[in-house]
Amino acid sequence: MELNDLKLDWKNAGDDLKSEADLRLMTKIVNHPSIKKIRTKLIIETIAILFFLFVYYDWFDGDKKPFYANLSLVVGFVLYIVNDVIGYISITRPIRGTNLKLSLQNYLMRIKRLSISSVIITFLYSISIIIFFTSVITFTKEKGLILLFSIVIVSQLILLSLRMWTKWIKNLKLQVKDFNLDEES
Amino acid sequence: MEKEFLEIVHEHQKIVYKICRLYRNSREDQEDLFQEIVYQLWKSYPSFKRESKVSTWIYRVALNTAIAIYRKSKISIDYFEEFPEHIHPSDEKTISENEVRLFWALRKLNDSEKAVISLYLEDFNYKEIAEITGLSESNVGVRLTRIKNKLKQILK
Repeated sequence: MELNDLKLDWKNAGDDLKSEADLRLMTKIVNHPSIKKIRTKLIIETIAILFFLFVYYDWFDGDKKPFYANLSLVVGFVLYIVNDVIGYISITRPIRGTNLKLSLQNYLMRIKRLSISSVIITFLYSISIIIFFTSVITFTKEKGLILLFSIVIVSQLILLSLRMWTKWIKNLKLQVKDFNLDEES
Repeated sequence: MEKEFLEIVHEHQKIVYKICRLYRNSREDQEDLFQEIVYQLWKSYPSFKRESKVSTWIYRVALNTAIAIYRKSKISIDYFEEFPEHIHPSDEKTISENEVRLFWALRKLNDSEKAVISLYLEDFNYKEIAEITGLSESNVGVRLTRIKNKLKQILK
């Protein structure tokens, strides 16, 4: 097969055309493959957190906890929602740049910032829950084990999140490096 | 604005289709990427000032999206080291054997090579390829020579 044949095949590729109605549906977030999942997660988590903040004072003895523990829990949850909203806005924003190389560089910076804020906030939010539930309690062996188990679970979640971000950033760095190859020499 | 946008994308949707086939292996991932690109085009349409050709704008957004967005690790059943001789055109409705072979070969290139060769195959000149990718014109030439040799090796 000659390269000129490839040009012809490239130009002829694609017969399975979509209708304007199908394309219109694709412009809506509600039909977006990943953003709709992120939005649903954001809505469910926000409702659940607001519900928890509304009832925790009675159900989890907030009145018996010191002010700092209550404050830490509220701030932790608010940070969590803020982080979700920032992530959602950031993901839905178009990838901008006058060319592919610049777009990738800008996007890499955006994802780096997002990953740092996401991991820090997940850490702070986890600490805030631990502070609330461990304040003014008498530790027994069982309670200590539950705390240890919770810390292990939280650490695993943070590690998983970190791994996902690292993989994405590594791939973007690779692309940026690839576009800069030969240009620097 | 929506009507005008839909007409443009409808007319140029083959570009989006080709980028999806080039950068994703499975049909499901290609469909997801198609939707993602149309969404990104719609979001960036208000800032499209028509200083460049519509096809240039679509290529820029489509390539950005295909390369940058997060990809789940999946083992694809559509990826073959060797050209799958058993694939007959009738296996994929309306897709010719030449097209299957073309994308099989192009998918063996890395992401930046795919971007450069797709623009070349679409008949963009070196200056236009340089503007879309951000590479220098001379680098586009060097890369294209390298990619063409690579493709010859793959397809021989």
